[in-house]
Amino acid sequence: MAQFLQAAIIGLSLGAQYALLALGFTLIFGILGVVNFAHGGFYMLGGYVAYSCVALLGVPYPLAVLIAVAATAALGWVFELFLLERLVDDHLATLMLTLGLYLILSNGLLQTFGPLAMEFRFPVSGAIRLGPVYVPQENLIVLAICLAAIVALWVVLYRTDLGRGLRALADDRAVAMAQGLRPKLLFPMAFALATGLAGLTGALVTPILALSPGVGDPVLATSFLTVILGGLGSLQGAALAAFAVGLVEAFCSVYFGGSIGALILFVLVLLLLVFRPTGLLGRTVRGA
Amino acid sequence: MLLRIENLWVRYGGITALSGISIDVPQGETVLLVGANGAGKSSTINAIIGLVPAADGRIVFDGTDLTRIPCERRARMGIGYSPEGRRVFPTMSVTDNVLAGAFGLGRRRQMEALDWLRSVFPLLVERATQPAGQLSGGQQQIVALSRAMASFPKLLLMDEPFLGLAPVWIRQISDAITQLRARGTTVLMTEQMARPALKLATRGYVMRGGEVRRSGPVDVIRDVALADEYL
Repeated sequence: MAQFLQAAIIGLSLGAQYALLALGFTLIFGILGVVNFAHGGFYMLGGYVAYSCVALLGVPYPLAVLIAVAATAALGWVFELFLLERLVDDHLATLMLTLGLYLILSNGLLQTFGPLAMEFRFPVSGAIRLGPVYVPQENLIVLAICLAAIVALWVVLYRTDLGRGLRALADDRAVAMAQGLRPKLLFPMAFALATGLAGLTGALVTPILALSPGVGDPVLATSFLTVILGGLGSLQGAALAAFAVGLVEAFCSVYFGGSIGALILFVLVLLLLVFRPTGLLGRTVRGA
Repeated sequence: MLLRIENLWVRYGGITALSGISIDVPQGETVLLVGANGAGKSSTINAIIGLVPAADGRIVFDGTDLTRIPCERRARMGIGYSPEGRRVFPTMSVTDNVLAGAFGLGRRRQMEALDWLRSVFPLLVERATQPAGQLSGGQQQIVALSRAMASFPKLLLMDEPFLGLAPVWIRQISDAITQLRARGTTVLMTEQMARPALKLATRGYVMRGGEVRRSGPVDVIRDVALADEYL
């Protein structure tokens, strides 16, 4: 029982991280129609910016996280506005651009910080006893911050003018423009929102897991898996799928150990796609 | 003259959709473009709002030539647009659809628009939180009209507002257009169904093959427009 609860809490904490990454990923796809191959790069960059602030500049960790969010959002905004925006409707070009950015980011970080993992620790450690189980404090903190970020994103998308504009552009870009919505203003904001979330996740999670120039690779794979499982373009689906993926991973590693979790996940997704090709909450058709 | 189109040409690839048409829309009037499929009605509307480029000619709105102004700026100059086939934002609620039409105008103006449109169309209250994609065609047309009017435009463009609607909805949409006009809005609409549309219009243009065949006050062109409908 204790083991079960512990796996559940770890799974939820993983799920919340995956949700932030997948929401950003699906936001960019849904609104811009772009698959962001650099998503893992922003996660990694968030980790390194936070690390640099703490280790090199002596900034307190919470402030370092905020700086990492600002830096990754700013880079995303500039990248979209000056590069991606010109070619946003060309799928091959955006693939090359985002993949190229990822290579630049990961090799730049490799050159700057070297191939070894950084000595980057979460400032809080120890475990809290919740009934029969001990839960690492850092997991609870990350879970709480990720959940708060998901709620904040929901408020932005569903309760503000900006969110309304972004969803209108995702639903029908031509008609949205004919209603006076400006893609040149809104696309960079959407991209910055998504990359800022990836940076936030990186700054929060890399001190718990690891920080080295390779940590961005699995992020892209997990985001892809989650978004396809949830249904392309569906925000609710992506969030739901992220928690499912986190829980499956946590339970598999507790009960079966090793890497069998990834195998089980991919088999589950394959089966789901055979019987429900649109994913959990996917739409068959875009637009009406 | 609120809108003056002079010698407008539109081409898609090698196909000519509009061959030098000229149309005048005087302030406060309701101008109707009638004609069969492929006559160039939608191309005219799309060229005014900027969804297709003008190959040649001028589109002068409120004293400004629109032809070099991008689509998203034209809407903010005071042109409301209700597209052919309605094209509401399907995943967004009815209220969000209307508010998206008033994007960036500020909370006060948006609420003013929403209150006014809700007082005209009770549907916007009854279905406020429902995704617009789930509504019937007639209901979606009300949403599309409200979205177009939410920015209080000087000119309302309506592309085939009766398309695919049952007679009872055609009557309701006609009433809706009449109510929206009460605010002094100038209207340019296209319609294949000339009969109900002629009841709304003050002035009409009969189009065929990308050209204007006849034009004038509704009484003058009524017979031509109706004869055309049954061709």
